[in-house]
Amino acid sequence: MMMRLMGHASSRNIRRLCTALALCAVPAVRAAAQANLSTQGFGFPTGQFSTRTWGTGGALAELDPLSPVNPASLAIIPSRMLFFQIEPEYRSVSTANGTDRTTTARYPVVFGALPIGHGWVMSLGSSTLLDRTATTVFNTTQFLTPTDSVAMLTNFRVVGAMNDVRLAAGWAPLTWLRVGFGAHAITGSNLISITQSFPADSAQFSAFTQQRILGFSGAAVSAGVQLVSRFVTAGLSGRRGGNLNMSAEDTLLTSAKVPSRFGASVAFTGIANSAISVRTSRDTWSTLGSLGNPGLKAVDSWDTSVGADLAGPRFGDRILFLRGGFRTRTLPFQTDAHTVTEQSFTGGLGSAFASGHVLGDLALIHASRTAAGLSATEHAWTVSLGISVRP
Amino acid sequence: MNKKVFLMFAGVGVVFSIAACSEQLDAGKSCPLLCPEQAITLLDTTIDATVADTTVTGLPSIGNEGYLMLASHGDTVQSRAIIRYDTLPQTYTKSGLDSTIVNIDSAYLITPIVKPDSLKRPKVPLTIEAYDIDTTGTDTVSAILAPLFRPDRLIGSKTFAPESLLDTLRIPISTDSVLDRVKNGTRLRVGLRIVSTQGADLRVGSTGLGLGVTLHIRASKDTAASPVNVAPVSHTPTDQPFLSGPLADYTLVVSGNTQTVATLLGVGGVPSRRTYMRFNVPSRIVDSTTIVRASLLLTQAPNRRLDPHDSVYVYPLAVLASPAITDVASLLQFVGPAGQFGLDSVRVAPADSGVVSFEIVGLVRTWHNQPTTVSPRSVALKSGVEGQAPGEINFFSTKAPVSVRPRLRITYVPQINYGLP
Repeated sequence: MMMRLMGHASSRNIRRLCTALALCAVPAVRAAAQANLSTQGFGFPTGQFSTRTWGTGGALAELDPLSPVNPASLAIIPSRMLFFQIEPEYRSVSTANGTDRTTTARYPVVFGALPIGHGWVMSLGSSTLLDRTATTVFNTTQFLTPTDSVAMLTNFRVVGAMNDVRLAAGWAPLTWLRVGFGAHAITGSNLISITQSFPADSAQFSAFTQQRILGFSGAAVSAGVQLVSRFVTAGLSGRRGGNLNMSAEDTLLTSAKVPSRFGASVAFTGIANSAISVRTSRDTWSTLGSLGNPGLKAVDSWDTSVGADLAGPRFGDRILFLRGGFRTRTLPFQTDAHTVTEQSFTGGLGSAFASGHVLGDLALIHASRTAAGLSATEHAWTVSLGISVRP
Repeated sequence: MNKKVFLMFAGVGVVFSIAACSEQLDAGKSCPLLCPEQAITLLDTTIDATVADTTVTGLPSIGNEGYLMLASHGDTVQSRAIIRYDTLPQTYTKSGLDSTIVNIDSAYLITPIVKPDSLKRPKVPLTIEAYDIDTTGTDTVSAILAPLFRPDRLIGSKTFAPESLLDTLRIPISTDSVLDRVKNGTRLRVGLRIVSTQGADLRVGSTGLGLGVTLHIRASKDTAASPVNVAPVSHTPTDQPFLSGPLADYTLVVSGNTQTVATLLGVGGVPSRRTYMRFNVPSRIVDSTTIVRASLLLTQAPNRRLDPHDSVYVYPLAVLASPAITDVASLLQFVGPAGQFGLDSVRVAPADSGVVSFEIVGLVRTWHNQPTTVSPRSVALKSGVEGQAPGEINFFSTKAPVSVRPRLRITYVPQINYGLP
């Protein structure tokens, strides 16, 4: 399908698209009330999915070259390509105290790919492994002595993410076989900002802000394979985590292992221009437990999804792809000793523009997150917009 | 068609991009249930941090008062306002032409005052007398000037009903005396004295605030003649404008000077005084934590000598001089303006008692990671009406019993490894 979508470009449209991309790339000040189920611990795992894969609930992750999961899928890319994705999430968290509604903007995937000949394609990209960006605002009362107390307003803000920078290569030695390898650098930082003010007694007490940057550095390797037949395509990949360090300025704070992962997708491709797929993967998030405070509890998780990417109506000589899917998974970090699970229903569209030089995908995800035994629920609508360009 | 669809996608992208850039932030209703981080815990400590405290009288120095204190409290306090007109014009303008003054129709002292508040307004009429106090002696010394307030030197007076004490008083003075000075080209130096059957205070404007007492001379009855207004000016000490300038007008305390005993610290009073305090705050607090509250706790000692219930604002001020200056009187003249570093005043009356808390967190924060040579750990206390009103506020000093000595209460955020989930 990827091959088919690529055509000749209209440079004018390319320029327009680049303008749109530039607008999308404007850094956004992001914040959300962190009193939620999804952004516990070191943050929310966005999944490292492309918009197309999102549209199928994640079921195509091992087969989709735009999802930085299986390096073998890179071998599909026929020409130079740049890809960018934006994902605003509109979230509501309900507890007995009420409902918080917040917006979080994410830019989870960006990468470029370059065919280098003989069936090899190289790729360099960055994707969000764990997004911790959030803001919590809450009131407390601090007792300084048994008779002296002060009301405090705390603004706890975290900006940043743990990112997965991948240098990968895919190779198609045979028409039915693709293999790939990746080297991963786990980077990124969390800018922690705490502001405490004393609105009820600003004459005596003076507000303050403390900031701290937690930096991450780690490494991992990955490998994958794809087997292609007329009616079935299967993908299998794994990532082996190396050491992961967290430091503040020049001080090493904690160490852990980058979570390892393995996953597999099987897709039925017997319908023209379509794929119906199922996928499951296992992430060993528990290796991150030692990266935080002793109370941090990370759990290994399964991530399973089923979805379809179907050729829909035609607009001229372009096909509009229709997608849908379902996903269920466990989130990596517990909240208050309760494991958080997520179920998502997804849908999406996709097509090619500018004579196949531009691929545009749109996905809509509705996720419900719960923690058994905890009287809190979280619902989120996520809009994913992915644009890939062949310069 | 292709172009339209492309533009539609680009538009959708821009819309989502803008929407994503917007921020909605709600209060954490789900806290503390889901909040992974809680508020930082504050620690509170009260320490005997004062290593030096003393009171210096005579500040502000003579001539540098904001307003002149004109007070009459029997034997307790008597003060005068001295105004110098060391330059008197010898001409006036009439119909656009200068004319030599050969006659004076009228002469007044246009005297700006601070309108007494309703609680402090005199209950009986008071008289302000003006005396010629020019002398060849050392004319800033009470022993020299006080005897000059005698009948043969009286050059004017006027009695004012309490309700007439608004913002400006017109006190007529002898035209002959003024004309004599004008014709001879000599100076006129006037002393004002308040006379009342009850204790009375007035705050008279000074040149330091641009509100000096103006000598208003009308040299002719002709309405075409412009009056002559003379501002206070002093030419002595000669060739020392730094000293002579402030002496254009000043307060002279004739009687009632007091000293503050060692167990007390004084603010205001007669003569006016300031307090200096120096602290030693442990480095583990001032350098290694974030201070959110710093309260200087002083125990007030009642002073019922004068105006015991007239409230006074006491200001904590930053001492800006470096420790290279060791003279406390000098240190107390190098202080920051009121309100600097967010330092706020406290309103107390002389007769009050109990613990008074001065919030100095803004100043204490400037000590963070700064050596004492750069940021002295000291504070000055001054009255908001120093040199203008006789009320004195007293606090117990470090030489007083332990239970009432000055203390410093500090609330701080300890250094913690925050941010780790």
